[in-house]
Amino acid sequence: MATTQTETLYVQHFGKDQNRKLDYYLSQMNGYEAAKKALSMNQDDIIGEVKKSNLRGRGGAGFPTGMKWGFIPKQSPKPKYLVCNADESEPGTFKDRDLMRYTPHLLIEGMLIGGYAIGAHIGYIYIRGEYTREAKLLNEAIDEAYAKGYLGKNILGTQFSFDLTVHRGAGAYICGEETALLNSLEGKRGEPRVKPPFPAQAGAFGGPTIVNNVETLCAVPFILSRGGEWFSALGKVEKSGGTRLFSVSGHVKKPGVYEINAGSMTLRQLIYDVCGGILNDKKLKAVIPGGSSAPVLTADEIDVIADIEPMAKIGTMMGSAAVMVVSEDYCVVKLLQRIAKFYAHESCGQCTPCREGTRWMEDIIHRIEHGHGRTQDLDLLLNISDNIAGKTLCALGDAAAGPVSSFVKKFKADFEAHIRGEKCPNA
Amino acid sequence: MPKCVIDGKEVEFSAGENMVDVAKRAGIEIPVFCYHPGLTVVAQCRMCAVEVEKMPKLQTACSTPVADGMVIKTKSDKVKSHQKSVMEFLLVNHPLDCPICDKSGECDLQDTSYSYGDSNTRYTEERRTYLDLDMGPVIKKSMNRCIHCTRCIRFGDEIAGIREMVAIHRGNSTEISTIDGKPLETEYAGNYADICPTGSLTLKDFRFKKRVWFLKKTKTICEGCSRGCSVELHQDNNVIVRTIARENKEVNKYWICDEGRFHFNSVHNQHRIVAPVVEGSHSDWATAIHRLKTLSANQTVHVLIGTDLTNEEVSAIKMALPKASKTSVFSHFGTPGLTSAAKDEAADALLKRKSKTSNLHGVEKLGIAGFEKFDQSAGLVLVFSGGRAVLPDVSNLGKAKVIGVGVFTDEEAKTFAAVLPATTFAEKSGTIVNFMGIEQKLQAAIRPVGSSKQISEILMLWQNQQGSEGHSNG
Repeated sequence: MATTQTETLYVQHFGKDQNRKLDYYLSQMNGYEAAKKALSMNQDDIIGEVKKSNLRGRGGAGFPTGMKWGFIPKQSPKPKYLVCNADESEPGTFKDRDLMRYTPHLLIEGMLIGGYAIGAHIGYIYIRGEYTREAKLLNEAIDEAYAKGYLGKNILGTQFSFDLTVHRGAGAYICGEETALLNSLEGKRGEPRVKPPFPAQAGAFGGPTIVNNVETLCAVPFILSRGGEWFSALGKVEKSGGTRLFSVSGHVKKPGVYEINAGSMTLRQLIYDVCGGILNDKKLKAVIPGGSSAPVLTADEIDVIADIEPMAKIGTMMGSAAVMVVSEDYCVVKLLQRIAKFYAHESCGQCTPCREGTRWMEDIIHRIEHGHGRTQDLDLLLNISDNIAGKTLCALGDAAAGPVSSFVKKFKADFEAHIRGEKCPNA
Repeated sequence: MPKCVIDGKEVEFSAGENMVDVAKRAGIEIPVFCYHPGLTVVAQCRMCAVEVEKMPKLQTACSTPVADGMVIKTKSDKVKSHQKSVMEFLLVNHPLDCPICDKSGECDLQDTSYSYGDSNTRYTEERRTYLDLDMGPVIKKSMNRCIHCTRCIRFGDEIAGIREMVAIHRGNSTEISTIDGKPLETEYAGNYADICPTGSLTLKDFRFKKRVWFLKKTKTICEGCSRGCSVELHQDNNVIVRTIARENKEVNKYWICDEGRFHFNSVHNQHRIVAPVVEGSHSDWATAIHRLKTLSANQTVHVLIGTDLTNEEVSAIKMALPKASKTSVFSHFGTPGLTSAAKDEAADALLKRKSKTSNLHGVEKLGIAGFEKFDQSAGLVLVFSGGRAVLPDVSNLGKAKVIGVGVFTDEEAKTFAAVLPATTFAEKSGTIVNFMGIEQKLQAAIRPVGSSKQISEILMLWQNQQGSEGHSNG
């Protein structure tokens, strides 16, 4: 847990078990003061403050949070819901885990404010099944909050009531997709829904619903207590406010969760200056910059500002800010095979291109990796990934296609060497 | 009315209409697999994706609402290449068992592949296979042929009112199955075969009976109950082999029940009497007609009219009887315990009615009341039946004789003085009236089985023979 900032929002509280307690939150983090302020405010003003903050979704898509909240209809015959997406299933991502471990009350307060702002009286935290410990910690924090009147009926003496429930997933990547998450929450098969209607119109149990990532909701109390403009100014690029948590893993000297001001440094600075460079001082081979679905970058492409729009400009994505670093002695064909296997395994099976194509790509890459590749395989792979990308109901198709096309294009020589039956050039 | 442009053609549509249907009305086919007009839209097969001006990605025609002024292209290079790719994806794991598949010849996958697919295959990996479970007496499951369109799941859930088909496992291993592998329970299971776009769910009853391209198809009405569902009867060599549902938005939408679907089997029931019988012995038409004439002349005749007869048949009987007997009394019969159309009501939440015959409402409109008891003065009870109506007990009538005109089994007719075999619903044409008061037309699908005759012809022979004794027509 390192930081380059003099002041961080989150990571300074990470690492100590006692920090997750309500006492610590109240005494050291100005706990529930933002909620007090919010509950006396007009709901539109809260949404306006979040809009001003330039907070963008931290789950992967980077959608402006204030705008999303603004989509919720004022009047609704059905109950409204605020759902926290704590599925954190994009490979390489582990920042939300720390937030839930060490600052659970920040999330609860963020949800309380969000619930009030959109007019929801019920909140759910949908947490990935594997996070058993974090689910338990969240429940303990929720119990503390109920006991002190921060959740439940007439919160802080106001008319507002808000109930919060932790719902555990059963181990499916697809349930991180917001509509599949809602299906799973409702007890249905975890499959994405046809959109429209979008969740803000008809989400959980048919009611208007907002689904926000853990880190997104954790930013909300800071925005309310210190102002949208202050939060926005933390960001160093346009249209991106606040600080951002990076999950850095792979062949770096100091992997971990890092917090930097949005857009304040390049990937190179993050990897070499913050994370201490490549393990054993090897050369850098590749960087997967935003979770395993983000198109890969070569060693010469990392002088890019690590934020949403600069990354999109060079054809990859910030995603969940999970940076996976690959050194020169690791086989990229093997790496892609592992990624392709993951997406084939996690496809829900609804859409034809994804159901059939992800497995087909995995089979071909498996053959190449095991010395049974053919020269036409690379064009076939590019064509299959092209036939999946943008052709499916949800983004899993794109997530599966992006790595395949980018690896094959950018590391063609490695794939060709495997096909020729040569020894892996690096490994 | 708002307008859109599809492939350069201006088409009017009403708000909320589906793009697939709007295009269809303009004579433009957009290929589909998961889309079915009677089920919710899931947009997951991706086959129907089309190009919409100002939208960067292809849009699925089944789920994208048509908007005023929208410009849609269904045959652009981008669309064609996408269709080819979806066909390729669907076929990589589909077995090439069309030669022995019952669906072959009427298979959406086959037809769409022919029109939109590629003649080459690039797939060299191992194909996915599944083990099949027995799903009960109606449906044969062949999972290897499945393209995961989920129509069956939605049919059970949304139409049949029972969640019994589900998707299990995930991704490429997704299997469509019943919950815990249990047999199907719905009484509408045959529809699973009708809506399956491949040979994955087929009718056990039809299995390996006939290549579908040999079938002669007749559009007619089911006679299983007073709803009168639109169906198609399929026959070859004068033998009916299958009934399928036919779309009728007012009456049955796209569905029929299993009882109606398999009712055609009674047409070829081996115990059905298909040649004249007199006093329990095989006879000829002249003798049987003579017998009828003798027993009815100068008698009071109690005429029992099956509510499975057509309006034309009933009218002809009503006209013929006064000439052939002293007096005649008419009552109708059909469903035990249901003596009037007023008591007919829904028997389940979907299609089935309490009246187990098709024309109760029509027969009653022709002024015939339900059977209560036998007329004590009758010397002859004359029963007209289409074979579906359930006979009242005629075994203990004292001096009165019983003659049957119509469709009877050996068992039913064992006390009859004579049987003059007539036609079932599949062998006759005419008008029936369903419970909603809608007049519908039966169409004969096959020639009368054996030496059975139409009731109208039998009535004519009877009248003609009244003056000319011994005229043979057998």
